[in-house]
Amino acid sequence: MSIGHALLGLLEGGPRHGYDLKRAYDERFGHDRPLHYGQVYSTLSRLLKNGLVTEAGVEAGDGPERKRYAITDAGVTDVERWLATPEKPEPYLQNTLYAKVVLALLSGRSATEVLDTQRAAHLTTMRELTRRKTDGDLADQLICDFALFHLEADLRWLELTAARVDQLAVEVTR
Amino acid sequence: MTLLRAEGLAKSFGKTHALDDAGITIRAGEVVAVMGPSGSGKSTLLHCLAGILPPDSGTVHYRDRELTSMNDSARSELRRTEFGFVFQFGQLVPELTCLENVALPLRLSGMKRKDAERAARDWLGRLEVDGVADQRPGETSGGQGQRVAVARALVTGPKVIFADEPTGALDSLNGERVMHLLTTAARETGAAVVLVTHEPRVAAYSDREVVVRDGRSRDVEFAR
Amino acid sequence: MKRQRLTCAASDLALGVRLAVGGSRKSWARLALQGVGIGLGVALLLFAASLPNVIDARDDRESARSMATKGNGPAPLLVEEQGHAYRSDYVRGLYLNARTPDAPVPPGIDRLPADGEIFVSPALGRLLASPAGELLRPRFPQKVVGTIGQAGLQNPNEFQYYAGDSSIKEGENAVHGWGAVQHSRGINSLLWLLSVVGLVVLLFPVLVFVGVATRLAAAQRDRRLAALRLVGAAASRVRLIASGESLAGALAGLVVGFGIFFAVRPFVDRIPISELSAFPSDVMPTPALTLTVIVAVPVLAVFTSLLAMRRTIIEPLGVVRDQKPVRRRVWWRTVPVVAGAALLLSQVGKLTPAEKPNQVPVVLGIVLLMLGIPVLLPWLVERVVFLMKGGTPALQLAVRRLQLDSGTAARVVGGVAVVLAGTVTLQMMLAGVEQEVQGNEKRQAAFNYLSVKPRQSADLNGIAASLEKARGVTGLHRIEQAWGELDRGGYAVINIAPCTALTKQASIPNCTDGKAYAARESTGLPAAQSGDVVTFQESGEKWTVPPVEVIDGPGNIPGLLVTPAAARGLVPLNVEFFAELDPAVPDAAEHARNAMASYSWQLHTYFGGQDDTNEAERVFGVIRRALLAGSLLTLLVAAASLLVVALEQVRERRRPLAVMAASGVPRGTLARSLLWQNALPLAISTVVSLATGIGLGVLVMRVFGAEVAYDWAGIGLITGIVVGLTFAVTALTLPSLRRATGALGLRTE
Repeated sequence: MSIGHALLGLLEGGPRHGYDLKRAYDERFGHDRPLHYGQVYSTLSRLLKNGLVTEAGVEAGDGPERKRYAITDAGVTDVERWLATPEKPEPYLQNTLYAKVVLALLSGRSATEVLDTQRAAHLTTMRELTRRKTDGDLADQLICDFALFHLEADLRWLELTAARVDQLAVEVTR
Repeated sequence: MTLLRAEGLAKSFGKTHALDDAGITIRAGEVVAVMGPSGSGKSTLLHCLAGILPPDSGTVHYRDRELTSMNDSARSELRRTEFGFVFQFGQLVPELTCLENVALPLRLSGMKRKDAERAARDWLGRLEVDGVADQRPGETSGGQGQRVAVARALVTGPKVIFADEPTGALDSLNGERVMHLLTTAARETGAAVVLVTHEPRVAAYSDREVVVRDGRSRDVEFAR
Repeated sequence: MKRQRLTCAASDLALGVRLAVGGSRKSWARLALQGVGIGLGVALLLFAASLPNVIDARDDRESARSMATKGNGPAPLLVEEQGHAYRSDYVRGLYLNARTPDAPVPPGIDRLPADGEIFVSPALGRLLASPAGELLRPRFPQKVVGTIGQAGLQNPNEFQYYAGDSSIKEGENAVHGWGAVQHSRGINSLLWLLSVVGLVVLLFPVLVFVGVATRLAAAQRDRRLAALRLVGAAASRVRLIASGESLAGALAGLVVGFGIFFAVRPFVDRIPISELSAFPSDVMPTPALTLTVIVAVPVLAVFTSLLAMRRTIIEPLGVVRDQKPVRRRVWWRTVPVVAGAALLLSQVGKLTPAEKPNQVPVVLGIVLLMLGIPVLLPWLVERVVFLMKGGTPALQLAVRRLQLDSGTAARVVGGVAVVLAGTVTLQMMLAGVEQEVQGNEKRQAAFNYLSVKPRQSADLNGIAASLEKARGVTGLHRIEQAWGELDRGGYAVINIAPCTALTKQASIPNCTDGKAYAARESTGLPAAQSGDVVTFQESGEKWTVPPVEVIDGPGNIPGLLVTPAAARGLVPLNVEFFAELDPAVPDAAEHARNAMASYSWQLHTYFGGQDDTNEAERVFGVIRRALLAGSLLTLLVAAASLLVVALEQVRERRRPLAVMAASGVPRGTLARSLLWQNALPLAISTVVSLATGIGLGVLVMRVFGAEVAYDWAGIGLITGIVVGLTFAVTALTLPSLRRATGALGLRTE
């Protein structure tokens, strides 16, 4: 999962301090693995270098860094492109997909579209697997079936999320 | 070549809006999965497409004929000759033997009993269920019954096969087998398949999918 | 512990009743249909149960109005009995002359009529007042002072009168009171047989139908009870619940039946055939038979439903799954038919005009043959259907359906078959009797003489004079008669008249005065031979029969025909006039009778030439219509149950029907398959019942020794009705087929 895209997405709501960004990220996506400050600052400096964020002023105070960051137009385009590109269908995608859905909702974009894009990508892979399975021998079939069942589980999750996206929107934007 | 084209379909049952401005296009020989949560209007869309259910508004074209303006007996004949149907359950006539069930649509079109049953036996063989030819549907297993149903849908050489949750009552192995046989046979005969299902693994037998949500259908297949 | 089990059983029964009345509209409709079906049967049974009372009440009143001729002292009342023939009717009555003020009053009137007064029965009053009674009126010039009440009448349509006549002189006509015991008249053997067959035919379908009615909507109930069984109810409990269900129908039927009975009862006096009509108050079922009906109907209902459910109770899964039914066994089903036919055959030719056939085998034979139909029918339908392949898809669908479950349909048409067979049998018997009656009438219609027999004391010359003057009388012959015992046993009537009169009454070639002739009797022997000695009872004198010529050919008067010259020494006892009537004058006989009206009770007339064929046709017409109405009613109820079965099958097969319609099976094909499904069992049962009915008719007529006649028109009519009903039932199922196969058929699960 791309921390950079996540931070960019969070910045779309308005300029923030690095510390705020870490707190917001942990709250939404980092339940079991909170970000280190180092990770936040190194990512931000990479984004700054690529022109996706800018410094929006420094506040006086005795804290470590009181720099505020804001997203640039290039940053917005990057987020958009990221959301519209389906993840490569493979197991354990839920973190990324969840982040994409939440960020889409937060930024007022269509979360359903994110999900549909993903399900189309999943199904394309499943079709390929199905084709391979019908042409292959028993070993192929068993291996393909393993992948198929996992992808199916993902797809089920996608469908379920799609069905509950309105509910999620209420909770996320509260 | 476009076989079936539906535009602006709307259909209500009392206060429930099953379809609300739905549209779909089926091309010759392709397998299209219609997916969506239950109650989204998948089956209603299929019934409207097949001319079983007249929509409240909107049009359905089969080739250059408009289904919605045809009378009941003309639509009946169209369904009998051009379309084939596979449902989840209860589609075989329980009194007739499996062979007679498969031969029925041919006989209705005026074929002689002997010829119809020869063709039916042939199809039962292709679907690997010639063993149950002389049994009644009630005496066969679910998977065998569905295969007989597939044979019946294919026996007239239809251009479109409508399959509404064909594997809904089967376990995954039997379901996959039925799907494999159905799509293989359909591709061999060049028939298009409209496949309503909520199972991704079943939908994976399709060429593309259409998602129905809240009575609206969206084509999810992007340009490859 | 035991008490607990009883309460448990009661609550199970109650659960069954609750399931039967269930509250939904469908279950009420089913209960109503059962109620009407069983109710019709119960009403019929109640009428049958009233027959003993009707007959007893008639006999009682008949006895109450019979004359007591023995008594002490001078006669308080003089009575002359006189019947007046009027066209095809016969008016009976008494001329009364009271000698004392306290003379006994006959039942039905409150006082004795004075001279010139008359009491008439309501039916006679109506006849006299109507234009049809115009030619009867001159014979009753008396003043009508009242009507005879029920107590004086045998049935409500009797023609009866009591007239006062002070001119009656004392003779052998003294009456001291009313109500002498009289033995009831026996019914003739044909009528007896007719009524036995009628009763069996009437009652048997009722019993069958009660059974069918309790099985209405049985498939649905079977499923419900099978579900109970699968949930874990013990077989005994399911039996109790099922009993409760059928009990509800039977009780509803009893209520409806009593309702119908009391609603129809007031109309029994309108039956236009005098012998069949009855006073409503006489139509009261006997307590014993009423109790039998009240107990037997629910018991029968419960018993049939338990019997029919035995498979469900033993293997509840069989109902839930479509299993191949067990092949029916045939041997025990043929037993009743074979036994019945054998019993009837054994009685062929045993019946003589004088004696009844052995009742038990005949009745038992008829009952067994009737019973044989519904027993044999399910097997036959199954076999026939099994052999069919089905040409068109519609026929194939129907045949296959019937192969899977022909029992329900066969049971319902079993009821129809019994009615049909019974009706056909009765029609044949009616046709046979009618043919005979019509034949007799035709033979007699050629006879164109009015016979007048005055009493010994009457004024012969006056009668002859008024007859000669009467309109339509073209000639008058006087024949004197004497009768006595033959010394070699037997009895002889001697008619004395000149050749001119004799040749009119018998075909005597070359009649010459001085000769005597003997007519043949029914045995084929001449009435007497020359040399026989006749002893006259009253005078004790003897007369030797002179040489006689035996005459063949048709004749109207029996016995010896003697010309005056050959009758020397004979004292005539009686005179009979034969008035020759002009066939061109309508009602000539009535005019002649009216000419003699003043001699009221002093003579007796007989007109053999009265053409009664119209009357016979009317009576048979009424009977035939009643029979038709009865069988139509039963057929209608049977059709209603067939409709229920058909509707239920459509409902049950909703899913396959909807799928078939969806995949393009034309609705016409489905409708035709329904038609076949109804028509096949009915066609088979019609063939069987026609065969049984005709066979039974032939057998019964043989037993009676009568000529076999076929009422093809009637048979055709009733068959036509059955065909019509098939179409009607199918047509009525079409809306529900339309619903099932309609656009929403697939959707509703």
